[in-house]
Amino acid sequence: MHWTLRDGCGLDDVLIQLAKGRDVFAPIEGENGNFILSKSDGWRSGINTLAPYRQTEPLKALFFPAREYIGRWKDVSLRSPMPKRIVFGVKNCDLSSLGIFDHVFLHGVAEDPYYAEARRNTVLVSSDCSSHRDVCFCPAVGEQPWPEAGFDINIAETPDGVLLEDGSSQGAMLLESAGDLLKPAEDTLVERVKNQREKHYQALAEDCSARGLKPGSKLQEAIEGAFGDGMWARYAEHCVECGACNFVCCTCHCFLLADGMDENGEAARTKLWDACLYDGFARTAGGGTPRPYRAERLRNRFDKKFSYFPQVMGRFACDGCGRCTEACIANIDIRDVLKDAMEAAAVA
Amino acid sequence: MDQPLYMPIPAVIEKIEVETPEIKTFRLRPEKPVPFRAGQFVELFLPGFGEAPFTPSSSPKITDTMEITIMRAGRVTAALHEMAEGDELGVRGPMGRAYPIEEFKGKDILIVGGGCGVGPLRSLLLDLVDERDQYEKVTVRYGAKTHESIVFRDAQARGWDVGGNGEGPLDVVLTVDQEHPDWDGHVGVITTILTPEYLAEPPDDGIAVMCGPPIMMKFGTDVLLERGYRPQNIYLSMERNMSCGIGQCGHCRLGKYYICKDGPVFTYEEVRGNPRLWDD
Repeated sequence: MHWTLRDGCGLDDVLIQLAKGRDVFAPIEGENGNFILSKSDGWRSGINTLAPYRQTEPLKALFFPAREYIGRWKDVSLRSPMPKRIVFGVKNCDLSSLGIFDHVFLHGVAEDPYYAEARRNTVLVSSDCSSHRDVCFCPAVGEQPWPEAGFDINIAETPDGVLLEDGSSQGAMLLESAGDLLKPAEDTLVERVKNQREKHYQALAEDCSARGLKPGSKLQEAIEGAFGDGMWARYAEHCVECGACNFVCCTCHCFLLADGMDENGEAARTKLWDACLYDGFARTAGGGTPRPYRAERLRNRFDKKFSYFPQVMGRFACDGCGRCTEACIANIDIRDVLKDAMEAAAVA
Repeated sequence: MDQPLYMPIPAVIEKIEVETPEIKTFRLRPEKPVPFRAGQFVELFLPGFGEAPFTPSSSPKITDTMEITIMRAGRVTAALHEMAEGDELGVRGPMGRAYPIEEFKGKDILIVGGGCGVGPLRSLLLDLVDERDQYEKVTVRYGAKTHESIVFRDAQARGWDVGGNGEGPLDVVLTVDQEHPDWDGHVGVITTILTPEYLAEPPDDGIAVMCGPPIMMKFGTDVLLERGYRPQNIYLSMERNMSCGIGQCGHCRLGKYYICKDGPVFTYEEVRGNPRLWDD
């Protein structure tokens, strides 16, 4: 269902209404064109913004925290319930990344109750990207700079008005609760949003093509075909295995089930983000490892994202957000890696 | 398991058997039975210290206790080896894919073990011997580094050690890599007792189950293929670093599989073609 603002009503009023009774996570402007996710009690006019593109932190951090206390061994009660939350300004790359997390944490051998609770308690209000960062490349991995699915409510701003769309029954209910601020949208507005999206896609797709990564590029064949190529050793010379790419990546989900003693001297378990680039990641008893060389670990990460996930889930575990490129201390750009792989594998 | 996710069940170490200077068998009694099938594994938890995956070596038919044979190789296993009878630890599991023993019925089965890898194989053997009439020939070929590192001397006690002349329930041949005056059996790596002299040609549907160090499984697989075993009938037990044990943490990936949930038992057909397969 498509809605727009009633005359005299502002978008801020709607967002304030949607946020009632929930902890709010919404972008605020940072430095150098960055946007950061900020937590507050409500939508703050003049401070919060839906942001033109994705914020610095990956959305996964709200569902899969960097450090998550599981509990004490001998006291197995679950921790206290998570409050209801709402996230504003989510962009498609992050929304799509939750598909990977749902697959891993909800649809495998066992359901992770902590992740399931976070998903149940969180309303996602996404918005179209109105521009993109110079590292963005989502068309190259089959995505686009606006959400098609996975949101509760999506917001598209145009010079002719704001379009609000529900994507779930929860989203529909929430929009109805703001019913006196909204009215059904005209087809012309829906059309305007469609045109705006197409224009933005063209611009972004051209940027991707200029870097050698047109939409539809055979990235799986590229990564699989480049297995024996010297490119991995070349990149490994610059990579310092800091793990930044693993941590900021919106789809990287690896963690360590860590053991220690809590402050009472009792055995406790914690989940911690882990990085496959670290040389201890795959270490076995006595110090062996199947990937002793950094080049192998670098290649392995691409293999997981561009070969494993297509085989297991039919999609890449990469949403083209470019955070890895921004975070990399060695200035490795994922688009260069993919382009080099395509050349090495002789695919287009 | 109805424990909260990631939390082990307490278990007491009931008995510790020293098998070799580096290998001990721990018999555990968990607070609640942890029934497993041969080939599956459990995560043993040392509270506040660490956790590691192991495959029980006891019969799956015994459910109130389980025996796990562990070589001292690293941090967690060294700590385990320091523990005493009566100590408490934790168990999570069972996890993973077991040997498809129902599919072995009516067929010839070859069991090839190397060193400490005999753990899951012993569990399978105990199951097979228990219903011996459901299977055709059951052949065991086992190799260890030295005569002192041969695990499970109960083969002799149970009347299994036959030497291949057709008596008793199993056809067993042992070998060691290194000669020693106290050893009068075969000397040579495991592949030397998989030759035509020691092993008959398998029937078309002959099953081979192999477990041991990667290098042993690699050369063993080559020989088994040469001898006529089909890739879909060669069962391997693969290993990688594990953390969660339930296919979520990403550590144990092998190609398009997670060893903890798609394995550890794989047919060679499933894993062949992976250039990283035999990485140690």
